[in-house]
Amino acid sequence: MTTDSHALVPVEHSPIAGFAHDSRGGISNPVLGMLLFLTSEVMFFGGLFAAYFSVRANAPQWPPEEFRATLQILPLVGPATILLILSSFTCQFAVWAIRRDDRTAFLRNMTVTVALGITFLLMQGTDYVTLGSEGLTLSSGTFGTTYYTLTGFHGAHVFGGVIMLSVVLYRGMAGQFSSRHHDAVEGASLYWHFVDVVWILLFSLLYLLPGR
Amino acid sequence: MSSSPRTRPTPGTVVTVSAVLLLIALAAAAVALGFDPLGGAQGFVTGLYPPVAVTEQGARIRDLYTIVFLVAAAIFLLVEGLIIWSVIRYRRKPGDDTLPAQTHGNNLAELVWTIVPSLIVVGLFVVSWQTLNAVDTAAADPETRIRAVAGQFQWQFDYLSDDGQTVLYTQSQAAGEGGGMAVPAGRTVQLTLTSQDVIHAFYVPQFLFKRDVVPGRVNQFDFKVNASDAGQTFRGQCAELCGTGHRIMLFEVHALSPADFDAWLDAKIAEANPTPPPPPSGEAGVTLEVSALNVAFEQASLTAPAGAPFQIVFDNQDSGVPHNVAIHKDLPTGEEVFKGEIFSGPDKRTYDVAPLEAGAYAFVCTVHPTMTGTLTVE
Amino acid sequence: MATTTLTPAASAYRSGLYAWLTTTDHKKIGIMYLINSFVFFFIAGLMVLVVRAELAQPGLQFVTDATYNELFSMHATVMIFVFIIPILAGFANYVVPLQIGAPDMAFPRINAMSFWMLPLGGTLLLLGFVTGGAAAAGWTSYPPLSEDRPLAAIGSGQDLWIVGLVLIGTSSILGAINFLVTIFKMRAPGMTLFRMPILVWTVLVTSVLVLMATPVITSALIMLFIDRNYGGSFFDPRVGGDPILYQNVFWFYSHPAVYVMVLPAMGMISEILPVFSRKPLFGYKAFVFATAGIGALGFSVWAHHMFTTGAVYLPFFSLMTFLIAVPTGVKMFNWIFTLWRGKLTLATPLLFALGFLSMFLIGGIDGAFSAAVPVDFALHDTYWVVSHLHYVLFGGSVFGVMAGFYFYFPKMTGRMLNETVGKLQFVLMCSGFNLTFFPMHELGLAGMPRRIADYSSAAGWNDLNMLATIGGFTIAASMIPFLWNVFVSLRSGKPAGDDPWEANTLEWATSSPPPPYNFDHLPEIRSERPLFDLRHGRTAGH
Repeated sequence: MTTDSHALVPVEHSPIAGFAHDSRGGISNPVLGMLLFLTSEVMFFGGLFAAYFSVRANAPQWPPEEFRATLQILPLVGPATILLILSSFTCQFAVWAIRRDDRTAFLRNMTVTVALGITFLLMQGTDYVTLGSEGLTLSSGTFGTTYYTLTGFHGAHVFGGVIMLSVVLYRGMAGQFSSRHHDAVEGASLYWHFVDVVWILLFSLLYLLPGR
Repeated sequence: MSSSPRTRPTPGTVVTVSAVLLLIALAAAAVALGFDPLGGAQGFVTGLYPPVAVTEQGARIRDLYTIVFLVAAAIFLLVEGLIIWSVIRYRRKPGDDTLPAQTHGNNLAELVWTIVPSLIVVGLFVVSWQTLNAVDTAAADPETRIRAVAGQFQWQFDYLSDDGQTVLYTQSQAAGEGGGMAVPAGRTVQLTLTSQDVIHAFYVPQFLFKRDVVPGRVNQFDFKVNASDAGQTFRGQCAELCGTGHRIMLFEVHALSPADFDAWLDAKIAEANPTPPPPPSGEAGVTLEVSALNVAFEQASLTAPAGAPFQIVFDNQDSGVPHNVAIHKDLPTGEEVFKGEIFSGPDKRTYDVAPLEAGAYAFVCTVHPTMTGTLTVE
Repeated sequence: MATTTLTPAASAYRSGLYAWLTTTDHKKIGIMYLINSFVFFFIAGLMVLVVRAELAQPGLQFVTDATYNELFSMHATVMIFVFIIPILAGFANYVVPLQIGAPDMAFPRINAMSFWMLPLGGTLLLLGFVTGGAAAAGWTSYPPLSEDRPLAAIGSGQDLWIVGLVLIGTSSILGAINFLVTIFKMRAPGMTLFRMPILVWTVLVTSVLVLMATPVITSALIMLFIDRNYGGSFFDPRVGGDPILYQNVFWFYSHPAVYVMVLPAMGMISEILPVFSRKPLFGYKAFVFATAGIGALGFSVWAHHMFTTGAVYLPFFSLMTFLIAVPTGVKMFNWIFTLWRGKLTLATPLLFALGFLSMFLIGGIDGAFSAAVPVDFALHDTYWVVSHLHYVLFGGSVFGVMAGFYFYFPKMTGRMLNETVGKLQFVLMCSGFNLTFFPMHELGLAGMPRRIADYSSAAGWNDLNMLATIGGFTIAASMIPFLWNVFVSLRSGKPAGDDPWEANTLEWATSSPPPPYNFDHLPEIRSERPLFDLRHGRTAGH
């Protein structure tokens, strides 16, 4: 993405751009930028997780009596988790495909990834409706507040990721990526893996960690 | 590079003169405003120290302050002296274009000014830790237990039984005539802090101590007022921003000799409990209804008969917010002719008001002077 | 990326307002950062003049309690988030690419976006004043006061405050990512890490702090927003929440933020002192390690803002707070021994830098008092703390900003600021500053709490408050020569030339102001002072 751009800069205005720009090889600017952005995202979720642990530790009982049986892995959340993990694999297959210039495999895997992401969001939405009908809302004490805040912000990140991957897919269909030129694919896939890892942590905390 | 500003004559003289003129002008302005320069200078020096502590714990904090202050002053004089010396001694002479020795650093010097300050701060830490262990305590069996309850915007002091389980007497007036928190000088008092609404802080400057009053959390600390300070009154104030009335959350601490304190508390307990409530007169006549919601009275004006007792039924609907109804002559700021008990909602009280002369009155909430209405007695 | 590099090249040829509004040039963006920051500086300054006028004498003369609370809350919020942090980012934006020999920042369009979020966020903060009351729970906005309580008298202004700060925080995070990629990836050949100017090092550490800390306050603000608007209960003790949780999360950001506000100023001081003493910075590597040390320790001291809550483990945070004085002290000695045996030219940038050293020294020493927990029990939330923080953030950061402004103005505009007027401004500002803030130490010791609109005339605080108010208006007066100097010098200041100060670093190797993409050619970089080497030969530096 950066290598072919120098020719477009008028030389008299950027005489040193050629060597100042990424002459050392290694990681490209957009990918490094994405990694740094994900560092900040880790800290953001760190703040929310800290709040979760804090209110959980302060509560006399967790989950509270009235919500003891509310959060269920089946029928929705467990399958949704598996789909999201699968989408991380298909996303990586897409990256490997474009690295070897296999555009067909790239587009196929990327389409599957986007579809899996959308399915996850739909399943989460359905789950929210079910939970809401059972009386768990954002205002049902610290349990409801932390549950919806954590999963809601994760869902917003999935939504952002779907948008990002859709743009990548669209650009891929327009033939903008090649083995030498696909920083956007690398960046979007890093983001998608991150979203996946956050969900695995969240799922473990909310559904697997025994209550008390 | 050829027209470097450094080669121009320095404008330092102009600036020095204007600086001196400015300082003279400022000093003249200060004197004109009634500032006493000599007393001011003396006050300035003593002002670098906290007030003399009236508690055993405060005295230890003041000792620690002295240690930190002396170390800090020594470091300040040394470092500021080095800065000033460098500026005076190493000025560039006009026309001097030679370079000074290009010193890039000195590892030994770096080592010295890393290790020596480290030792100083660790030393200060150890001293302050020892003081902390002595002043931040809550004994299992204090001699007196008091609970301070903070709410927007007033303090209330509950005197507790020895086991801390029962409230013996509640002092709901935090300052002024007949109010304030009485404490026995020479005895260890354990103060428990609870809040009804937002975060407040219990702060008595002469204790050199404060502690936050956090809702949902119980804070405790011990203090012992010096026996020699019996008979004194100390000013206290909320120190954590708690809303528009933050500055009026004042209170007083009265140090009494232990004997006076016991007598005072016994009298207060007796006064609060014994007399059975007077039987309803049956002919109280008029009953006025007043309610408060969202820190406002819902009634703007009331009318009462002149020369006859009447009742006010006050419905405080503000959850956790203390209100009352008081009647002032003419204006909300006028002379107080009746003051009802302050209590937190949601709750109801019935006040018996003695006969009033005909005229204009205002009814207000003592806690929230912005809550007002008019009362016409005719 | 292909289009990214075309855009600035094309727009560089356009001129006028449109060119400024659409620019992705780091120098223009840097200058817009400075202008925007100074506008908000004057707004927040006017607010605090009302506060000082109110406090001059006992009694409520000018404003109500509610307005007073709005004024000091917004004064602090605007000064911290829309003045100090952005103006330092503005200097960094202008100077860092030049100092490392890069043509621009790594992501020019994101750079423009980071900037434009600031006027938007700042306006949202201030909008509260016209929608029925700005945020009034202090810049810390502790719940439950900042949540939904009848007497908080805080309406939508508090929500605007949250949204504005989230926007400004996002701008900081994007800026930090941009700085880090620029510094790691865009350095000119020969510009190794340990040849980077100290300002670049401080911006690097600052960016790491922003990247790690700002998202955490974003999470705290979002939790506050959920509590306020959607019935959440993170911080509401009545339904199992914990107000102390907010304080922990808030200060986890806001203490490192202090270093965000002072490290780049230290960086500029470290550029200025060597130039005006004609010596290299004493102990370059020690200085770099001290900067990194401050950054690392900065994450382990947040709870010293919470010593009186009764909810933190006091000895640990006390020790860490004491320890952070050590790297700060190392820097102080390195600066002083840069001056030592130098040949000093007392130009305005150096005067402000010396002001920085002296004021920051007091502010730093004050920190040792707060680190001693029992002493903090006496001083916390009194005017003593107000004094301490202004000695660090005004005496430190703002004096550093002024030093940097006088130093870099010739590079940015091609014209010199007037030295005499600059010195007049320094004298007014320095005397006004000390007159305002030194008495506050004594007010705090005498027991005057922060954030009160009025006090009893019997409390003994009258004279000191009057003194502080006179000082405050003196600082305001110092802004008159400043503005006059800027406007007159822009039109008729002495032409600066490429390198008016005989400076050391690459930004002075190009024209003033530099052309688009900064350099026509670069000197060889063989030390941290390439221009010094060029001027005096490489051997002269050793």
